[in-house]
Amino acid sequence: MYSVKRVVSSIVTVFMLTAILAGCASSTGNSGTTTTQTPSENQTATNDQQGNSSSEPQELKGELTFWHSFTQGPRMEKIQAIADSFMQDNPGVSIKIETFSWADFYTKWTTGLPSGNVPDISSALSAQVVELIDNDAIVPLNDLVERIGQDKFYEKALAEMTSDGNIYGVPLYSNTQAMWIRKDLLEKYDLEIPQTWDEFYVAAKTITDGENGNAYGAAFPTGTNDMLATRWLNQYVHSTGETLITEDGKANLTSPTVIDGINFWVKIYNEVSPKDSINYNTLDEATMYYQGKLAFDFNTGFHIGGVQANSPEILEYIDAAPIPRVNSSDPEIGVESNHTPFVVWKNSKHPEIAKAFIEYFYEQDRYVDFLLSVPVGMMEAIKGATDSEIYKADPIVQQFQNADNVLKQMLSGSTSLGMDFGPRPEAGLLTSQRVIENMFQDIIINGSDVEKAAKAAEDKLNELFQTVQ
Amino acid sequence: MEQKSYKDKLISFSFILPAILVVGLLLFFPVATSLFFSFTSKHLIKPNYDFVGFANYVKILNDSTFWHAFFTNIKWTVVSLAGQILVGFTAALALERIRHFKGLFRTILIIPWAFPTIVIAMSWKWILNGVSGFLPNFLVDIGLVQEIPQFLSSANLVFMTVVFINIWFGSPLIMVNVLSALQTVPKDQYEAAEIDGASSWQSFIRITLPHIRIVIGLLIVLRTIWIFNSFDMIYLLTGGGPAGLTQIVPIYAYNLGWGLKQLAQSSAVTVLLLIFLLGVSTLYFRLLNKWEREGA
Repeated sequence: MYSVKRVVSSIVTVFMLTAILAGCASSTGNSGTTTTQTPSENQTATNDQQGNSSSEPQELKGELTFWHSFTQGPRMEKIQAIADSFMQDNPGVSIKIETFSWADFYTKWTTGLPSGNVPDISSALSAQVVELIDNDAIVPLNDLVERIGQDKFYEKALAEMTSDGNIYGVPLYSNTQAMWIRKDLLEKYDLEIPQTWDEFYVAAKTITDGENGNAYGAAFPTGTNDMLATRWLNQYVHSTGETLITEDGKANLTSPTVIDGINFWVKIYNEVSPKDSINYNTLDEATMYYQGKLAFDFNTGFHIGGVQANSPEILEYIDAAPIPRVNSSDPEIGVESNHTPFVVWKNSKHPEIAKAFIEYFYEQDRYVDFLLSVPVGMMEAIKGATDSEIYKADPIVQQFQNADNVLKQMLSGSTSLGMDFGPRPEAGLLTSQRVIENMFQDIIINGSDVEKAAKAAEDKLNELFQTVQ
Repeated sequence: MEQKSYKDKLISFSFILPAILVVGLLLFFPVATSLFFSFTSKHLIKPNYDFVGFANYVKILNDSTFWHAFFTNIKWTVVSLAGQILVGFTAALALERIRHFKGLFRTILIIPWAFPTIVIAMSWKWILNGVSGFLPNFLVDIGLVQEIPQFLSSANLVFMTVVFINIWFGSPLIMVNVLSALQTVPKDQYEAAEIDGASSWQSFIRITLPHIRIVIGLLIVLRTIWIFNSFDMIYLLTGGGPAGLTQIVPIYAYNLGWGLKQLAQSSAVTVLLLIFLLGVSTLYFRLLNKWEREGA
């Protein structure tokens, strides 16, 4: 009897143990939401597989899988509406939309690529485009950009998606980092909008001390499941004209300016920030601002929609301001921007449909309508799109004209994080490996010496950079 | 006769063949793949790789972060398991004794086990939030502490906090199993012991424990493996931080495989984990067998 029990026990144990290994080797499941529309079952492509459109209009037939990371309600609805409209105009096409957060999207494509489980078309972040090019996962879209009109796009956005003369992404919208403020809290403590980092510290500390836990001047986020500490350090460093990746592709965490930046944010954490922010990711940080718990935050125009949805009573008190500098005499320059593009995957069976869909997306009214799903948050990728009367008539656009101007000012002079000297795969490693977040946690929690921790982090980054050089 | 026996065997085998295939494909194939990759330079995305022998194992075993994660993992497993056994066992004994609303209490106590980990982790993150969390603010309000305790970010509190949540989460399973085992203990043995003048403690040690120790032993084996491999709870609560204070081996392997995309090294870590847990399980089973022989 007991030998049977032993056998059963052993099988259960082996099952549990092998599950550990199974987790490492098997591919991840589909964690996103899926909506499928199939107006036609005919999936035969009529155009050639290279995606070249012929001069004769041909009926498009086939099924597209479209991954995007626009998880907010209005944007999801707009995307779906445009896809529906495209399918109505092209009855032979069906578009299957799957929505993932940016983090899930990264996991999906990195695990899906080896097995070919990737979409026909997707959105992407600038840094991811470089990785996708590096892994030969997406196709050049020069012909499509030419059809839409290359001169309609901003040169800098296209440059971040260009490699060896090939344009791999069609910019959909841009956004840029600015300092978000609470005007009522500044007024309460008789403070001016900080122009320099020293003024930022004084203002933030005054508010933290004065609010006694009800609100904080700022929260320095160092969670290792996100890249916010890298972003915040970059803001300080970039405002001085230095960069975290040098022109020759090396990490820079040990120059006097960067050390000053590290010390500055550690001081903000110790004296201003809620201590929980050591684990904060983007959502945690944004939620603090949305709830009215932060006087200052660094983010894009998406903050307007977040506050509007969560605490509409404070919407009138928020605004954007330029990112502080070391000296008030330094120029007000932008720091970090992102140009979110559409990309077409090499694995796609219907690149011609993917390109036709993207082209359809950019038709004037349709594109402006899409931008208005997050007014001010999504900045135009097509020049002059936001000059339209429809866009200007939007109440949020009218209310946040100053923020809109500040964001446009910050966009000029800014680059994607780590791409100060052009698109490079090191930028992806800088933001995805959490080396800087771990460095800050080590300094804050273990009290490690700043210069030693910075040197160790710099060495680690350089070791990682070697894997892509 | 022999022919018939062979036929019978063939028929029997055909019945279990689907199960063998399912287990083979779903379990042993991935395991074999991991084992294979651990001897290569396999990158998560790039298709080409080379055979590198034991290089991944050498690199992992020389990495101080691995050893830190390993010892944190042992601490996490031992403390969580001890806590779960203690709380689960106590709850089971209490439920065994009460006369009214036993079903209701059992249902209430099983609730933590019934929720998905993501719900539990997010709920606790919300409850323990260092700014607006209910519990930290409540402790300040009642004057127990002066400053809001940072349960998930303080170096002194974070490890015990995640262990506490794991104990809260895992105890119901122990409770339900021990309760079932307790109900199989013959009541006449307690009556006989009472007549002989045995105290409650003596009855517990001499009657209850010997009857249920096999069940507890199996629970310990299973829970050891589950807790040691648990990834989701800690990852969702702290991501292994701050400063690696809650980083256990599965999180270390995940970061290697999905962060650095070094699938080969990540596979080597899981193989090492398998070897370690097989060793621990062997020890457990030897003990269980000894108990079974003593009880036979």
